[in-house]
Amino acid sequence: MADENITGKKQESKNTKRLMTHKNYAFKKRLPVRPIDGNNVIFVTKKTNFKAQLDKCCDLLTRGEKEIILHGLGAAIQRCCNLALQLEILFSGTCQIEVNTGTVDLVDDLEPLVDDLDFGSQVRHSSSIHIRIFRTAMLGSNQ
Amino acid sequence: MDNPQFDATLGGEEHLPFSVNSFKFTASRSIEIAAMSESILRPSKTKLIFQTLPVHMRRRVMSHNCKRLPRRLREGHLEQLKKSGLPPKQKRPSRKYRRRPANLLNEYNRRQKRNIWLETHIWHAKRFHMVERWGYRLADRPCDKAFRACYRASSAHCLLQDVSYYTPIQITGPIELIGEIFDCITNKSCGLSVTAKAYTGGNRRGNIDIYNPNAYPFGYVGKIQFLWITKENCNKELWLFIHPSQIKQIELLLSNLINPYSENLPTEHIKKKRKLTNKFSDIKINILSKAFNMFRLTGPKSQAILNSTIKCIKTLNQANDSWLAQIRNTSSLYLEEKIDYWENAKLSNSPALLPPNVVIGLIIKDPRLSRPSYRTKAQNNSPEDVNVVKLINSPSYLSHSPIWDTRLHEHIKKKLMTNGQFIELITKTQLVPGEINEDDPALQYVPVVLIQRPGSQNPNSKKLGYGSGWDIIVPAGYGIPFWQTLVMFGGRAGGLRETESMAFEMGENFLPPDSEAGSLEEKRIEQQLRERYFRRPPSKRVNYQKLGINSPFICPWRILLSDWSGNNVNDLYVMRDRKLLELLQDCLTKKAVPNIDNADACLVPVCLHMENKGNLKQHALICLPQSDDLQTIKTLYEPLHEDKNEKLRKQKRKQHLQLLKQMKRKRRKIKKSGCQIKNVKKIINREPSEYVKSMRELWLPSNITTVRNTCLRPVLGYVCKGDFSFTEAKSVGVGYIALNGLIELIKTGLNKVLIRNTSSRKYRIAKIVLIKTE
Repeated sequence: MADENITGKKQESKNTKRLMTHKNYAFKKRLPVRPIDGNNVIFVTKKTNFKAQLDKCCDLLTRGEKEIILHGLGAAIQRCCNLALQLEILFSGTCQIEVNTGTVDLVDDLEPLVDDLDFGSQVRHSSSIHIRIFRTAMLGSNQ
Repeated sequence: MDNPQFDATLGGEEHLPFSVNSFKFTASRSIEIAAMSESILRPSKTKLIFQTLPVHMRRRVMSHNCKRLPRRLREGHLEQLKKSGLPPKQKRPSRKYRRRPANLLNEYNRRQKRNIWLETHIWHAKRFHMVERWGYRLADRPCDKAFRACYRASSAHCLLQDVSYYTPIQITGPIELIGEIFDCITNKSCGLSVTAKAYTGGNRRGNIDIYNPNAYPFGYVGKIQFLWITKENCNKELWLFIHPSQIKQIELLLSNLINPYSENLPTEHIKKKRKLTNKFSDIKINILSKAFNMFRLTGPKSQAILNSTIKCIKTLNQANDSWLAQIRNTSSLYLEEKIDYWENAKLSNSPALLPPNVVIGLIIKDPRLSRPSYRTKAQNNSPEDVNVVKLINSPSYLSHSPIWDTRLHEHIKKKLMTNGQFIELITKTQLVPGEINEDDPALQYVPVVLIQRPGSQNPNSKKLGYGSGWDIIVPAGYGIPFWQTLVMFGGRAGGLRETESMAFEMGENFLPPDSEAGSLEEKRIEQQLRERYFRRPPSKRVNYQKLGINSPFICPWRILLSDWSGNNVNDLYVMRDRKLLELLQDCLTKKAVPNIDNADACLVPVCLHMENKGNLKQHALICLPQSDDLQTIKTLYEPLHEDKNEKLRKQKRKQHLQLLKQMKRKRRKIKKSGCQIKNVKKIINREPSEYVKSMRELWLPSNITTVRNTCLRPVLGYVCKGDFSFTEAKSVGVGYIALNGLIELIKTGLNKVLIRNTSSRKYRIAKIVLIKTE
């Protein structure tokens, strides 16, 4: 996924800087594309309480979930890694971590502030991390 | 004698015939069959009929009420009852039943005379509390108390609302002239104008603030939505969608601008208008109420629900179809290109991924054909990922739709299959009754228009994409088929309460106080709260005088502004100039106050976030803090005020009781003397008596002259709507403060204010953020 975007990246980034500094546009963000959602999928954000998400993951793993998937985007990557490492310590020896990285295309809308301009938009790229935590032994689980 | 009855081949005497006469055979057994079926229908005494039913068909008190039995068994059951001696007593039908109109449709039509009903009215009336608002009878809130469920639907699932009360207005004419008209009634500082290049292409729907002609910043009317339509011959039309609270004002305003002679205008204006008459006479305005249905879907799952509801057509194989046959140039429909775009858009898991306010016109199959037989939740779990780059821009052909052609409306209506006809079709004519064929040619295709709403686009202020969704515009008559399909795919229906709460969650005010609609709404709420207050016994009423609050049910904006400016303010306005608002927001941290015209009459919209504890309520006071208040907030209470009217009230009550006693004595005397009182008609008076009125006046004095310095800290403004906000996970309020007050606040160098609820003496701290309307 990352390789595909590299070619387009250079052109876009030039374009982005030009547009972003433009005074006649208001900068609006769109929602990023989400991977497939599920019970065992957790999206780590900057706003969510870290402890709450850690507890949620622990709960899922002890309840007998085979694997959980954490997704982090941009600035939340660090928190996502932290979460995974904490989990590894907590479930030491019984679970393993598999890490994937990627790039996500983000779309920004440029809303004109003057009458003689049309809507514009630009593609930004943001790094993302996808961590799969899976049980190797079911110690301490109820099942 | 006892010969064994054997077959002849085995040495017996019985001879079997070589052939069987089937008639004879059945005839000889028909008696047996009849006896058997008879015994099933009227069984022997051991079992009663209703006892023979399988368990899942049994109902409570079946033996008493024969209506609970299946109809085919009722006759036998009644006979059994007769036999057993109990006379079958028929209950008198209920009063409600007996008074039911013989012709329900007539009755419905009669009831619609006072208030307009939406097409989904009966569906809603069965499930919602209905209220009369703006000349319509609208659904207010669902009966199942689903307040939080509706919020959850709007943030994680899909909330459905019927907003067909928005009235479309078609404006035709040269684009420059339309622009000129709108230049008088709008202002550029509030955002893009109607004729902005971004909108004239017709790909996006826009919002604009409307003011009375040349009155900006005063005379606010309301926010309207507009859309440019390109017709076949490249003419442009403007369509406005107007909230019913403003429709009369806008109708009058536009017609006055176009034909100024029809109204008696002040003489000074006439000279100016005479010139304009010739210019604007080319413009035609057409109000098309009830031409469309508009449904509002909010939440990420609205995409999945639309995907399952909408089945686009690929080719026009309905040659005899009446409304499609009317279109001369079928290539202008761009069927394939649109399907291409829509198929890609379908893969997205939230409408917030699409271009904001994009307009998509589609032609689809009848929604009844795609409806599931049980209520299911539409999911969007396609393995493919959406191609974001393809969605970045919206091609120009996307917004074309035959729905805007008013000539076609009649044809669509004529060919419309009612629900009854549809059910007859699928139960009587289909090979397997009840089975639905998705490509049924008997049902005509339907043109629809989808309009995206972007929701929150700024992750700093609100969760990204909250409040995003779709508006669907559907031709008249198709309200119920679409609505039911959307509900069957798992949408949760909401009403007006949800519209209000969503505006609140987004940090906006639903109806601003400087518009006519807003002040009417304020008065309505005041009336409601007042009545509720005086329905309580005196000992259970909050004594607002002791709390130092002189208008607990309505915000006295004019008095507030007069207090802050020092002179009398009759006309007020809310600041909507985006640049000024941004500047003021910066001032809250940078402390440099700009110079603003008409500052005396200006209110500034603010959003308040509670810092610590406390729940904001409606009409709470926003007060100016002193420099050391933030440290001593824990002990900051409003001192108890003296209630000057308490003694008066007690006196008055005593007198009144005495008077009543006297009257009673008099009546008794007259009765004793034997005088017959002639039939004096008892006058049922809805108006409260003089005594009650004067007592109410003593509870809540209505002549307020000042509000600024009535309590411990000077009052800056009021909270219009305050509540616990689910998106912020804390108490949040939306309110207005006087601009002069805000400047005073900026001078103190704080961006925090004190808040006090009307029913409490405690001051609390809230952070203040100016609302920049999008």
